[in-house]
Amino acid sequence: MGILEKAAAVAKEAELYEEYREGIGVSFRGGELEKVKSEAVLGRALRVILDGKLGFASTAGEEEDSLVEAAVASARHGGPAPFSFPELKGEQRVEVLDPEVRKLSPEDLLEWGEEAVKAITGEFPGIIADVHLFRGESSVRLANTSGGAREERRSYFGMYVEAQHVKEGDIWLLWVGKTVRKREDLSPEELVSQVIRYLRWGERVVPPPTGKPPVLFTPRGAIVLYLPLLVGFSGLSVYMGTSPLKGKLGEEAFDRRLTIVDDGALPFGPRSGSFDDEGVLTGRLPLVEEGVVRHFYYDLRAAALAGAEPTGNGMKGAFFGGGFRTPPSPGPRNVLVSPGEGTLDELIAEMREGIIVEGVLGLGQGNIQSGAFSNNVSTGFVVRDGEVIGRLKNTMIAGNAYEVLKENLVAVGAEAEWCHGIYKSPPLLVEGVSVVSR
Amino acid sequence: MKAFLKGILERAPGEYAEVRWEEVSHSRVVFQRDQLMALEASREAGGMVRVLVEGAWGIAVFTDPEEIPKRLEEAASLARAASGHVRDRIRLAPVGPVEDKVALSVEEDFREVPLEEKRKLAQRYNELILGYSDEIVASGVRYADSVRRVIFANTEGTYIEQEIPDVTLHLSATARRNGDIQQAFESLGAAAGYEFVRDREEKALAAAKRAVELLSAKPVKGGRYTVVLDQDLAGVFIHEAFGHICEADFLLRNEPMRRVMELGKRFGTEALNVVEDGYIPGRRGNTPYDDEGVRRRKIYLIKEGVLTGLMHSRATAAATGMEPTGNARAVSWEHEPIVRMRNTYIEPGEATFEELLKGIDYGIYAKGSFGGQTEFEQFTFSAAYAYEIVGGEIGEMLRDVVLTGNVFETLRNIELLGEDFELRGSAGGCGKGGQSPLPVTFGAPHVRIRDVIVGGK
Repeated sequence: MGILEKAAAVAKEAELYEEYREGIGVSFRGGELEKVKSEAVLGRALRVILDGKLGFASTAGEEEDSLVEAAVASARHGGPAPFSFPELKGEQRVEVLDPEVRKLSPEDLLEWGEEAVKAITGEFPGIIADVHLFRGESSVRLANTSGGAREERRSYFGMYVEAQHVKEGDIWLLWVGKTVRKREDLSPEELVSQVIRYLRWGERVVPPPTGKPPVLFTPRGAIVLYLPLLVGFSGLSVYMGTSPLKGKLGEEAFDRRLTIVDDGALPFGPRSGSFDDEGVLTGRLPLVEEGVVRHFYYDLRAAALAGAEPTGNGMKGAFFGGGFRTPPSPGPRNVLVSPGEGTLDELIAEMREGIIVEGVLGLGQGNIQSGAFSNNVSTGFVVRDGEVIGRLKNTMIAGNAYEVLKENLVAVGAEAEWCHGIYKSPPLLVEGVSVVSR
Repeated sequence: MKAFLKGILERAPGEYAEVRWEEVSHSRVVFQRDQLMALEASREAGGMVRVLVEGAWGIAVFTDPEEIPKRLEEAASLARAASGHVRDRIRLAPVGPVEDKVALSVEEDFREVPLEEKRKLAQRYNELILGYSDEIVASGVRYADSVRRVIFANTEGTYIEQEIPDVTLHLSATARRNGDIQQAFESLGAAAGYEFVRDREEKALAAAKRAVELLSAKPVKGGRYTVVLDQDLAGVFIHEAFGHICEADFLLRNEPMRRVMELGKRFGTEALNVVEDGYIPGRRGNTPYDDEGVRRRKIYLIKEGVLTGLMHSRATAAATGMEPTGNARAVSWEHEPIVRMRNTYIEPGEATFEELLKGIDYGIYAKGSFGGQTEFEQFTFSAAYAYEIVGGEIGEMLRDVVLTGNVFETLRNIELLGEDFELRGSAGGCGKGGQSPLPVTFGAPHVRIRDVIVGGK
């Protein structure tokens, strides 16, 4: 008898999630190879509904019976399950497996790592380069007692580069990287050239304009503005009343040039899958259309509580992973911000005088829900007469993401990039952000 | 397990090999507003092998213990592939073989407490928060406990079994008035039993009360101030801003930073002492043996204002000619040991709280932490809440207080250390190299620092 059958013999409803992850990774630290690592991890999670109450347990490397016992014990004292496990019917095949990724050998990753180090330290001998490369596949299988099962293999391939400029009194840490599903969506050479571009921009430290100058958020830097939204569009935050977007469906809460779609079915999107971690088929969900709030995203529970439809956003480890151990909760899939006009260089020329924000410290600290941010800029540049003239230091930015994206958006750039493995955005030029420096 | 592992390791490839197998039992209760979001008692197990071949590490992670011999071979072959790319071979500082067993020692073993009782406890705290005021719109209660049973064996004859307890409670409240939303929390953690989380009603109420108070607090005006940090925030500062740069793995391949962090260099006044300790009864950072089988040591990072020690793994110790300190820790079986902190604190001074405030015309008393982040010398911390200091007295409540600065300047700018030392574990943990949350504690007395930059509108 399988785990699901054993669970079903005790509880009326059950759902088994299984994930097998197999991959390799290499790490360089300070330009030197630090480690080569492989992993082969099987994790399971079992949810049961017993007398209308929800139970959850997870395991790795343990016998199957204890998982069933643990889930049932949890259900005996659990909270009411406002939902049933959905019948796993219907089919959709989203492309998430690239067989080319599997072919990447430890030797390939080692060579890219070495080349990255060489390219960076070749031009900037004083820079300390850390490089991480990894690739693998995860197989996810989901089955429940309402009938049916879903199964999928997904590939992943990632590269992260940290370049450290270290001098007493002037330390600067720059990191650039991404995770993709498709081999050709990540070019180690391009990534390295981006690092080098920023290093060139940053050779000289110059004082930034202060007060409320124009601020250009690069795609990666725009996380400062998006993080509150990623939380705020969660159907659970809305239901719980912690989201400022509560009651704003259909309202123009953002600048008209802003269109944001959450697409879980995007071919080879870093967070794409044919189905979410509860078996609900993924799809394209407009969050903001020309400034108007259109949808929130839901897992089974939040949908049932709010009287909405699940949207295929039941994610184990909503934002940054967590895998089999975490029960599903509403999380964004691939957040796509529609591009506008103007290359990065054109936006820089347009702003004339201001700052560029590429990375900040203290992300997610403070009162995220309200949209407030207050961050030390870790990687930022100063623009004067429409040109980048150097890097800024000891500078804080503060504002409110909701206000900025409604009242103070100056321009949405044309060139969108994948960032933080979660969203694809163009650069955003804004005003109304306070800049304090010493 | 002992005979099994010893047998396998006798035939292990490479110049050094180790096996770590962990069995973890953990439970969680999570309430969010009126919803029981998680109620769970689970067990899991998994392991890691590391093999050193010609000065390069090969590592393999697995969940099936029968695969250990196969994974050792795999790790060895990865290490061989790596060794061709290694210029600077990894060596391990010698430590004698150890056979030991560290058994669980807590007052009230939470594995024996029924899940239902844990749920009821969390529910009571949750109801206290929600019922505190009409302006409280959301609450969060997170209870978690775990016992990590770690078996470590290596080819040098070391075999250690340890049981490490951890229990945490996070209580948070969200208050709303018109469009304004404010959050407050209380966060507790210890290497203790269930007794640690009982009778915490006053903490739940404190979180709720503060969330409501913050609705009326003034946003801070950005600028440069003399700041008094409470024990929590000063502890976060010493851990985040200073502790991390005392981790020798960070310095190993970082020549310029190594020059900055030379032993014997002065970093603060003679009153400043900073300690890193592997064992203080009941503390979350306790690491009797680290995940390389090295016995704990207490070290002074700063003694009388001078840098006197760094934290080491066996590899960083060998590379710098130092002794391993027992700081090589892994957050779980999925991760390799790296240099981490344990219990880190600033030793107390002699000033009373009144003396700390005295002479400050206008300053800020910053309390608690929403978190902190550093990049080398540069740090940013959000205070959970704060007060004005006006004419040497505590004034009105402030919010949105974010402190930022350069750690070396800030250490030099410490003017006074309080007598009121506290070492506290929170429910969070430390993150580094993708390994989070690692249980640690940090502490300090009240600390007065001049010229701190505070961000704000």
